[in-house]
Amino acid sequence: MITIEKLTKYYGTNRAVNNISFTINDNEILGFLGPNGAGKSTTMNMIAGYLPMSAGRVTIYGSDISKEPVAAKKNIGYLPEIPPVYPDMRVREYLSFCAGLKRIRSAERKDEIARVMKLLKIEDVQDKLIKNLSKGYKQRVGFAQALLGDPKFLIFDEPTVGLDPNQVIEVRNIIKGLKKDHSVIFSSHILSEVSAVCDRVVIINKGDIKAVDTIENLEKKLGGSLTLRIKIKGDRTKTSNIIELTDGVQEIASIDAEGNDFYAFAVKLKEGAGDDVKNNIMAELIKHGIQISEIYTEKPDLEAVFVDMINRSAKNNGLLDLLDEIEPVEAPETEDDEESAADEEKEDKE
Amino acid sequence: MFSVYKKELQSFFYTPFAYVITALFIFLFTYMFNAALGDLGQPVLQFTFPDIFYNVIFFFIFLIPILTMRTFADERKFGTEVLLMTSPVSVIQIILGKYLANLTVFLFMIAGSALFPIFTYFHGTLIMNQLICAYIGFFAWGAMFIAIGMLISSFTENSIIAAVIGEIIMFAFMFIDDFSRTDFIMQFPKLQSVLYAFAAQPRFAYFSQGFIRLSDLVFFASAIIVCLSWNYIAIERRRWKRG
Repeated sequence: MITIEKLTKYYGTNRAVNNISFTINDNEILGFLGPNGAGKSTTMNMIAGYLPMSAGRVTIYGSDISKEPVAAKKNIGYLPEIPPVYPDMRVREYLSFCAGLKRIRSAERKDEIARVMKLLKIEDVQDKLIKNLSKGYKQRVGFAQALLGDPKFLIFDEPTVGLDPNQVIEVRNIIKGLKKDHSVIFSSHILSEVSAVCDRVVIINKGDIKAVDTIENLEKKLGGSLTLRIKIKGDRTKTSNIIELTDGVQEIASIDAEGNDFYAFAVKLKEGAGDDVKNNIMAELIKHGIQISEIYTEKPDLEAVFVDMINRSAKNNGLLDLLDEIEPVEAPETEDDEESAADEEKEDKE
Repeated sequence: MFSVYKKELQSFFYTPFAYVITALFIFLFTYMFNAALGDLGQPVLQFTFPDIFYNVIFFFIFLIPILTMRTFADERKFGTEVLLMTSPVSVIQIILGKYLANLTVFLFMIAGSALFPIFTYFHGTLIMNQLICAYIGFFAWGAMFIAIGMLISSFTENSIIAAVIGEIIMFAFMFIDDFSRTDFIMQFPKLQSVLYAFAAQPRFAYFSQGFIRLSDLVFFASAIIVCLSWNYIAIERRRWKRG
């Protein structure tokens, strides 16, 4: 288990990280979420022992990182924001150097390098100079470096930034695969990523922890009402009447005409209302001969939680700036990502 | 420590770097050697290797900073410092590994210069003890300059700036001897003796005459230790105040 207690970092008089505490359990993937400049990288660097903390304590499997750095660092694999690779080295040379740094016995080195290269599919480029590799491959080499020696605790700082959607999925799968016998903390400002991979999230903004919880709990905590999305073919007024008369409906938030008698309704439900409302509406609509082409309840996603958390803290200072930094919504399912990637490609071609 | 050393050596020898700098060094050495041969016509002038070394040392001002400029500056530039600092290797081990690697390249450089004494041995007489002392002095001098160059390199992430500042400082070390003998400084005998104590050039002069004096060895050794310790402090200090 990794414990972070009252970690604080000052840069001069500027407080970058303020008194944060949380733990990372064994076999857990912890997401570390926050907008740019929230103090994510600073915290990661402190946990990894690169930056000394101004105050507080980081304990990694019982070893204090400031007091017994060598013992603590043996259990850490760290992939910083920029992969720490030497452009003039070949991939295999580089990994061999890292294995030496991590004090892997020379007899085991070769097998260990082969293992991580296989895991990250970089065997094809093992004899290439790192400077000639694409960003995605460099990232993978950085990943391989972190996994060398199979450390129990892995720290990934924005591991998917700059990768193409396919690589993002690969990286996520690698991280998920590590869960079995590692503790992982990884930072991101992309919400879908965190919700796709993590068990728990820590939300941080301006150096302060805003929340530490599981994703479901955060969604629940946000509470509020669910939104029902209905797409129908038929009479618009009749449909809105039916919907408004159903129990559990608070209001119709919007109606969009989509041509050829198709209408998309966004219906706000009352708190606590759930699937029965959906079923009732469905039954009524069918009874009145209205064709339903689509109906589903929309959960408040992590994005909403995130924006909400951030908003609470940043009432007066440039909320719009913060929102601008937040990535557009991506659906958590990986399939959708592939689709959107395909869409993007199409657009590019056009 | 050994892995850092090995990696540094690879970065010197797997790239043209070590060969180019050695070639340049041998070129300069040849130039001085030829000039010395040319002077043989004049009966007043002696032809000795220590003399050549004495002249070649001037070019160290340009060569050594080029050798050491990348040592720490590039680690910062490429963000690889994080890798070193977060691996179970202490900063002292990193510094020593890098220092030994630089020293190895330097040995490779001066090994090239041994060509000329070998030629001379076959075609003339060689004063062995003088030559060996000169080599020791040469090595001590280079070892000190490398420590200084590495220290400068840890101050910046721009290797060119590291090289230029290193050159200026080594230039100062070279001429502090002349400076301490100017009329102005002569007015303050105590200041003069302090400055003179820092002058490395007269110490090399002793080596080149065939003297190995303990005080000179102590001077070079302590200069190296001071620079490497300072190097350690500089790296740690930057980690603490970064931002």
